[in-house]
Amino acid sequence: MFGILGPNGSGKTTLLGIVLDVLVANSGSYSWFGGLPADAARKQIGALLETPNFYHYMTAMQNLEVTAAIKGRGDDDKLSVLELTGLTSRKDSKFQTYSLGMKQRLAIAAALLGNPKVLVLDEPTNGLDPAGIAEIRELILRLSNEGITVIMASHMLDEVEKVCNHVAILKRGQLLVTGQVDDVLRSEDQVEVRANDMKALQQLLTGMNGIKKVQLANNMLLLSCDAAVQPTFINEYCMNNGIILSHLLLRKKSLESKFIELTNEKK
Amino acid sequence: MQKLLAIEWLKLKNYRTFWILLLLYTVLLFLVNYKLAGTASSFNMNGLQILAKSYTFPDIWSTIAYIGSYFIIFLAILVIIITTNEYTFKTNRQNIIDGWQRVDFLHAKIGVVVTISVVATLYYFILCSIIGIVNGGAVTDLLKNTEMALYFFLLSINYLGFALVIALWIKRSGLAISLFLLYAMIIENIANLITGFKYSLFLPLQCSDELVAPSAQKMLQNMAGIGHTTPPSYYIIATVSWCVVYYTLSRIMLLRRDW
Repeated sequence: MFGILGPNGSGKTTLLGIVLDVLVANSGSYSWFGGLPADAARKQIGALLETPNFYHYMTAMQNLEVTAAIKGRGDDDKLSVLELTGLTSRKDSKFQTYSLGMKQRLAIAAALLGNPKVLVLDEPTNGLDPAGIAEIRELILRLSNEGITVIMASHMLDEVEKVCNHVAILKRGQLLVTGQVDDVLRSEDQVEVRANDMKALQQLLTGMNGIKKVQLANNMLLLSCDAAVQPTFINEYCMNNGIILSHLLLRKKSLESKFIELTNEKK
Repeated sequence: MQKLLAIEWLKLKNYRTFWILLLLYTVLLFLVNYKLAGTASSFNMNGLQILAKSYTFPDIWSTIAYIGSYFIIFLAILVIIITTNEYTFKTNRQNIIDGWQRVDFLHAKIGVVVTISVVATLYYFILCSIIGIVNGGAVTDLLKNTEMALYFFLLSINYLGFALVIALWIKRSGLAISLFLLYAMIIENIANLITGFKYSLFLPLQCSDELVAPSAQKMLQNMAGIGHTTPPSYYIIATVSWCVVYYTLSRIMLLRRDW
C-alpha cells in the first residue's frame, strides 16, 4: 500500500490525474503493469479521483452498470460492492438524493467493481463521518491484505501512517522523500536517556558516532540519531564507558512533525 | 462502436429530458405538418397558389424536410444537453478513468448523433409517406424525390455535429445552447443576407439548408432572379466537408485538453 502525502495543492491529485490520463503532463512518462496500453491498464484499475463522478439522474445500480460496461467486467459484482460499502438499502435511489458520504461510498464501490489489481484512491475518506472513516480504512486494509495494490493520496497524516507501508511526500509538485513508512519515520527517531551522572552522559554521547544532536530537556537527554543507531548500541556504548543508564526509550517521532519539518525545510 | 453505443444507451435510457425532447420533436413535427397540410392547398399569394402541391408527392418530401430543418434544433439542443451533462457531472473524466480512451468519448457521442439522425430520418420518411398518402397521393408516386431523405439525413448530421462541437468546446449547457441558437437562427442568416446568398456553400449549417429548400422557395427565387443553379452535389460535398471539420476540431480539442 503506497501513500502519497502532501499539503493541499502539493500535486497529489495532479499526479494521479496524469497517470489516469485525465490531465496532460508537460513532460515525463508513466507505465502501468509493465507497459500495458494505458486504456487497457485503466480497465484493470479501480480509481476514485477527487470527487465522486456519477450521473445524477440515475440510481446507484444504474451508475454501476455504466462503470461495469466501460470496464468490460464486474457486472455481477454490483450488489456485492454495494454491500461492502454499506449502500445496499439505497441501491435504487438516485445519485442526486445521496449525501456526501454516500456519494463517496458509491465511488469506492465503483472502484471495487470487477476485482481490480490496483486501487487508486484520492482522499478516499473525504466527507465520511468518523465511523465511516474507520469502516473504509478497515476495508482498504483488508483489500490490501488480500493482495490488491493500493495507491492512496491523502493530506491526512494519520491515515497514511495507519494504513500504508510505503509513502512519498510531495510539496509543490516536488518529491521530497519516498520510502517505507517505517524508514521515513526511523530516520527521525529520537532516543531518551537518563543516568545518575547526566553531565558525564552528555559528554560521552556528544562524542558518539551517529548521534547528530544531544539536547537536555526535563532532566533527560534527547538524542537525534542516524537510522543505523539502535537503542542497543547506545546502551552498549554507555556500558562500555562506565555509565549505567537508568532510562532508555526509543521515541518514534510522529509523521506529523516529520511532515511539517520536511515541508518547511525547502521553502 | 456497438459497445460504445450500448454504453451511451445505458446513460440515456433513464434520462427523462432525452425522452421529452424526442417526444416534443416527433409530436410537434407531426402537428405542424398536419395543420399546414390542411391549409396549404387553399393558401394563395396574389392569386398564385404556390403551396398547392406542397403536401402531395413529390413536393411533400422537400416541404417536410424544410420544416424539419427548423425542428431539428430540438435534437441539436438534446445533443448539447447530453454532452454538457458529462462535463457537469464530471462523468467525462470518470469514463476515461474507468478505461475509455479519449477518442472513445468522442466516438460514442458521434454514435449518438448518427443514431438520432437515422431515427429522425426514418420518422421523416414515415411522416412524408403517411401525410402524402392521406392527401391523396398515389402510392406509386411515393418513391419519387426520395433523395430528399438522404439530404435530410445529411442536414441532421450537420446540425447535430455542429451542436456537438459547440458543446465539447463550451462545456456548459446554458452558454452552449445560447451560442448555438444565436448562430443557427441569427448570425448565419445575417451573414448569408449580407453576402447576397452567394456564399451559402461555405456556411456550416446553410449549406445543408440549401439541400432542403422547398420547391415553393426555389420557384420564388427563380422568379425574383436570385435563384442560383448550384447543383445539390456541391451542397452534399460542402456538408460532408463540414462534418469532417467538426470531427477534426473535436478530436484535436479532446486530445490536447485536460479533462
